[in-house]
Amino acid sequence: MLTPSEQERYDRQIMIGEIGQEGQGKLKRSRVVIAGAGGLGSPIAIYLAAAGIGMIRLIDHDQVALSNLNRQILHWEEDIGQRKVDSAKTKLRKLNSWIEVETIAETITEDNVLKLMDGCDVIVDALDNLPTRYTLNRCAMEKNIPFFHGAVTGFEGRAMTIIPGKTTCLRCMYRGPVPQKKFPVIGVTPAVIGVIQATEVIKYLIGIGKLLTDRLLIFDGLEMSFNEFKVSRNPDCDHCGFLSSAEGRLG
Amino acid sequence: MPVKVHVHTTHRQFTNGLEVIEVGGDTVGECLNHLINQFPQMEKALFAKKDKLLNIVEVYLNHTSAFPNELIKPVKDGDDIHLVVMLAGG
Repeated sequence: MLTPSEQERYDRQIMIGEIGQEGQGKLKRSRVVIAGAGGLGSPIAIYLAAAGIGMIRLIDHDQVALSNLNRQILHWEEDIGQRKVDSAKTKLRKLNSWIEVETIAETITEDNVLKLMDGCDVIVDALDNLPTRYTLNRCAMEKNIPFFHGAVTGFEGRAMTIIPGKTTCLRCMYRGPVPQKKFPVIGVTPAVIGVIQATEVIKYLIGIGKLLTDRLLIFDGLEMSFNEFKVSRNPDCDHCGFLSSAEGRLG
Repeated sequence: MPVKVHVHTTHRQFTNGLEVIEVGGDTVGECLNHLINQFPQMEKALFAKKDKLLNIVEVYLNHTSAFPNELIKPVKDGDDIHLVVMLAGG
């Protein structure tokens, strides 16, 4: 149930036929984990907070550094040296004090990931490395939690939405380990991709529109183009393959 | 009509800045060999060793993932091959 103040605050999006009072109520009751409070995490958190997601859990182990400020727009000069989750929470509270913001300043590992994701409706990938993305992907598949992937480098970014047991997961596309290195990036790229991820989260939570599933969307800011590529589930995927076999047995 | 290979931004330094290269071949692998014949530096950009693509290289045939066994996928005249590089940043 929305309060009169909430109805006023979210009036412009409640006016959207696909959202309405019911959809806004769903957003209010939703619990979203954002893994990473950096370049992608900043626009994702800002737009989900503005939209009235009931609870946002931000996870990031890092502190704000000067070199973050070109893209991590939740963090400002005065925040350098602070924990990113604290800096982010301060801004999000000022943007929307009516929602709950949980912060966890931990590194996501195989050992703690299940606990960190506990009780959430969706997981948003705002990470800066592939190994942790696979850790999160596996957790999402095991706990049957939708997973919203995004990644960026330079002027290029990509996004894909993953519904466990139904659509292609990140690991289905796994080709083997890749070297980790410092990546170049300009802030507008995670801004574009993060907002696409936030849009997908809102659509999923309300149950509207066509999700970016089994489709990898690639944004090229230099060419100003979006390319969409069809991807398919790997029945032998070591993260989501068991969901296929479970479905098969049930069928 | 030849097969078109769409070269990733980061690889265009090896193709004289060209984004689209026309090649011939009956499989993705043959097309990539033809590409490398024209632009030899593309071999290091795409392959870890003979017949083994780098793990960061993704191949899409007519906007559909060619993974796995990309190199043996058949192609026909007029097909499009997109070479894409996996991203990890956030």
